[in-house]
Amino acid sequence: MAKPVVRLRVVQVAFGLAVVAVVVRAAQVQVVRGAAYRETARQQRTEHVVLPARRGTIYDRNGVPLALTREVYHVGVAPRELRHRAQDARSIATALRLSRQAVERALQRDYAYFGGPYGATQVAPLRAVRGVHLTSELVRFYPSGDFARALIGHPADEGRPASGLERVLDTLLAGTPGSAVVLRDSHGRRFESPARLRSFPVAGSDVMLTMDAALQDIVERALADALDRYDAQGGDVVVLDPRSGEVLAVASRRADGSTPPTAFTSVFEPGSTAKIFIAAALLQANLASPLDSVYAERGVWVQKYRTIHDDEPEEWLTLRGVIQVSSNIGIVKFVERLPADVEYQTLRDFGFGTPTGIEFPAESRGTLERPDRWSGISAGQLGMGYEVAVTPLQLAAAYAAIANGGLLLSPTLVREARAPDGTVRFRQSPMPVRRVVRPEVAAELRSMLRGVVYEGGTGSTAALSTYELAGKTGTARRATGRGYIPGAYTATFASLFPAEDPQLVMVVKLDDPQGAYARLTAAPVTRSVIEQVLASRSSALDAWRLGTRASPLVASPPLGAGSVPYVLSWPLPRDSAAAAARLVPNVLGLTLRKAAGALHRSGFQVRVRGWGMVTSATPQPGTSAAAGTVVTVVAGTARP
Amino acid sequence: MRPRGRVWVAGWLLFGLVVLAWVVARQTSAVVAASELSDLRDERASLEARQAELLARIRAARSRKVLIPRAAALGLRLPADSEIVILQVPGTEKR
Repeated sequence: MAKPVVRLRVVQVAFGLAVVAVVVRAAQVQVVRGAAYRETARQQRTEHVVLPARRGTIYDRNGVPLALTREVYHVGVAPRELRHRAQDARSIATALRLSRQAVERALQRDYAYFGGPYGATQVAPLRAVRGVHLTSELVRFYPSGDFARALIGHPADEGRPASGLERVLDTLLAGTPGSAVVLRDSHGRRFESPARLRSFPVAGSDVMLTMDAALQDIVERALADALDRYDAQGGDVVVLDPRSGEVLAVASRRADGSTPPTAFTSVFEPGSTAKIFIAAALLQANLASPLDSVYAERGVWVQKYRTIHDDEPEEWLTLRGVIQVSSNIGIVKFVERLPADVEYQTLRDFGFGTPTGIEFPAESRGTLERPDRWSGISAGQLGMGYEVAVTPLQLAAAYAAIANGGLLLSPTLVREARAPDGTVRFRQSPMPVRRVVRPEVAAELRSMLRGVVYEGGTGSTAALSTYELAGKTGTARRATGRGYIPGAYTATFASLFPAEDPQLVMVVKLDDPQGAYARLTAAPVTRSVIEQVLASRSSALDAWRLGTRASPLVASPPLGAGSVPYVLSWPLPRDSAAAAARLVPNVLGLTLRKAAGALHRSGFQVRVRGWGMVTSATPQPGTSAAAGTVVTVVAGTARP
Repeated sequence: MRPRGRVWVAGWLLFGLVVLAWVVARQTSAVVAASELSDLRDERASLEARQAELLARIRAARSRKVLIPRAAALGLRLPADSEIVILQVPGTEKR
């Protein structure tokens, strides 16, 4: 046996080697592989979570929310953590509106999950219950239900693609998600400790549409009533502001109750509503005057390849008369004065056969063939509104050009976009496409359209007692891909209201209504809508302009020799949308009368809530807003 | 007179305790603040949801789909345009 000294030495060496091994291992762990271990530990202890950004709200032109984001919850329950199981089960069943038995059954498992989703008010009583875990989620909510749903659409969700304005405006509405780091234990459960924010979520921009919710309600209801009353297969109504191109209301409905956005996506032959564009071409090219006349063949005109009929037998008709009584024979005879390229170019200039550029996906461009593809009768057919297919929106935009003095404006649905802090990111201004006709030609066309609504005109059923309306009826055979449907018609009435200084351009189109003729179907619907608008508190109509019969919109003098005829008279006279932005004056603390006066002087419209001293205003004082914007003033204790 | 070793140790211990207490107090305060923040956030979400629900009910109640049948049941009707008078503000100042 070795000596004690030797044994001691061996033990010392062994200890020394052990210490060296520990130090080497420690160095390897801490220094050589330290970074990797640190990363592994960090991943085990922490979790990166995405903080969803709140999607922006969509408002109508007066600040009525149409689509907003709200929080909903999924409910998880850990039965072992419940303190009073029976009582808690009862609370859960009551709050989630589930049967007691269903909840009891779910609580038999290790972890019960109720997907919902449930609203914040629904889960509020469960927040204090130990063992109940809420998981929140931001979802889109449409407070007006089916109101303009096809137009507004929905954001992309679980494989379902986005649609409508939610799709077009997604980059504005979506916002930027944030991120945070939370601590968790060895089982992966999150600690109830403050999370470390890496980046804040940035909410999306709020978007204000051009639509007027009150007018939209009127139009949707009127269309639904019309489909019932006339037993129509479907219909569309489009209402535009002719001075800005803003779409104030748009409704589409089928007989089965569905509401596809056919006002933008579906085309039809406009029939006699297109006759006014032939008159425009003739007047613009100085190929006819309103008083030039043609022989109307007593209602039947037999040609080599076809026979043309009029509803009412007439003999001599002026161009104005042709429009008033909607004579097919008369317009075809006038078309003979038009070179094909002039006719084509005029229809093209009014926007047919090309998309309007509205902010809506899958807009149809319509159909308008080039003259080299026309048959021998195409020119006349186009004059009667056949061989050309348009959307109701295109037709409304073309009539808006007549209403505003001859400028084709690109129709728009978006008025303004604001960042969450209130700064304006985008503000729409009228977008002229081209001048289609001279102002004096447009004025003459409006005069012709007024005649349509007079006694003896085809649109007299739309006439109002107090205010003058201008418009044009159109009853065209309905076609499918395989030709015309026997006995099926499209009834259309395109109108300008009021006839002088028009504020609204409306197209009402009914598919295959009983009664067929537009004068018996679409025209009375137009009248009904206008009466309802007059009786409502909608801001779509400017009562001041309506009452004072303002001067014509574009007061350009007639162009003399040597003038360039296609000069844009631009910008248009100031109006609610075209006007420059200005600051909302500070009216807080003022009486309602003084506040309304100050806001009117600044060019804003005023909506009052409550009584007494002004406590708040929306948009807020000091912020920028377009002239003509409706400022909601809240007084006393009224809620905004 | 220099403090003796035990006094030094006691002093450092006391200092350590104070620092620890301060850290604990701060952590506690942070947790309480986070809890309050969470409660406020929940309350805000709840109020927003309530507002949205009420908004939806108001919109539905004010819609023509609801109002017109009720008005008709009461014998009311929509006025014709000739029955509507738009009052003008005196003065000629153009906005």
